[in-house]
Amino acid sequence: MKSKFIQIAGLALTIAYAVFIIWIYATEPRTFKEVANSAEVAAGTYQINQEKFDSGYSLFLREQFRAARDEWQRADPAQGDARTQFYIAYSFYREGWGRVYYDQELFKQGVEAANRAANLASTVKLTVDDPNLQLHTIAELKAELEQGTERSWSDVNPLKVLRTRK
Amino acid sequence: MTVTNRSRNSSLVRFVLLPLFFLTVMLLGGLRISAEGHAFIFVAPPLVTLVLAVLLMLLFVRGRLIELKRWLASDRPPLTNISHGWMLLTLFFASAQAFNSVLPERGLLHWLFSFFFLWTLWNNQFSSFDARRLLRSLTVLFGTAFVLKHILLASLYTPDGGWLKKVAGALLQGVSLGTLDAPAFAPATGYISFFTLALYVFGLLLLTFASDDTIDEVVYTDRLALRESVQEKTLSTDYADSRAPRNADAL
Repeated sequence: MKSKFIQIAGLALTIAYAVFIIWIYATEPRTFKEVANSAEVAAGTYQINQEKFDSGYSLFLREQFRAARDEWQRADPAQGDARTQFYIAYSFYREGWGRVYYDQELFKQGVEAANRAANLASTVKLTVDDPNLQLHTIAELKAELEQGTERSWSDVNPLKVLRTRK
Repeated sequence: MTVTNRSRNSSLVRFVLLPLFFLTVMLLGGLRISAEGHAFIFVAPPLVTLVLAVLLMLLFVRGRLIELKRWLASDRPPLTNISHGWMLLTLFFASAQAFNSVLPERGLLHWLFSFFFLWTLWNNQFSSFDARRLLRSLTVLFGTAFVLKHILLASLYTPDGGWLKKVAGALLQGVSLGTLDAPAFAPATGYISFFTLALYVFGLLLLTFASDDTIDEVVYTDRLALRESVQEKTLSTDYADSRAPRNADAL
């Protein structure tokens, strides 16, 4: 009877440990802090640092996009919050937007951030009710960023200079 | 009481300790620490390490470190078979990760090391081994690979230029080391690899004793059954003998 109990307990314990190892190799955390953050995301108890998020938002409104992204990355080190990733993508859009041309590198990074946000908000639709933004959903932002990375004949249209930043 | 304790300890080793050891080897075998920033880098086992692990498992069976009939048998309870199967699976992945731990990550040296491992394991398939000799041979094999990778090669690729780099620079003057390129890791990687290999070899050592215990247990059970049947036979003979004179008297 005791041996059976040891067998069942051993199996349960070691299978749980094996799952943890597979998860570690799948998520590839770089520090112990990232391990803890990833575990929080997996457990659904992850929360961003609201103070840093607000600080980033105020920088964003002052058009200091790089500084804003830096703050948001600190607010969401595990890249596990859809809303923060949305704002990061938006900051790439605003910084990369130009009346004559778009910065391709920034737009590509924006698409990556928008994809992260889309993956995180795959179950619940995310709508950001922010009066300072003109794009309120991930799909709108992603479409805008992707359009900016595509090359077409409309790029040589001189009337393009009349377009506005969203 | 001693038999009960022995059986309990044997169960603990086979069903808890061994899988935990091998899983820890699985976790640490692919762990490297980057030289810059000391961040974790998890290297999944390359395909060649799985091939090496298969050859090593065959060697374990040939060297009788794993006696499959003792570990997995149709007359054993299903749960025991599942537990033993799981333990063997963890041993397989631990073996793959032990190789991963001592293989250079990329470049010509990765393939050279892989080739030498393959060559050694393939040759060993045709040698006669017992469990203890196999264990000694494996300790030497992993020990040599560890010294080559984490002491000699680490010195060759250290950013500040170790003694071996200077010697190699003098010997291979004009020859590009591009094909021998390997990433530089923090010294902690060597310590982790040493601990991983020590744990792996210790696990194999425990496995040898666990196999012996399993055999002893089977032998003990057989002997017990034999003793019981002899006792039963003796009792029935005594009973028949005690009845016989009375019947004779009655006659």
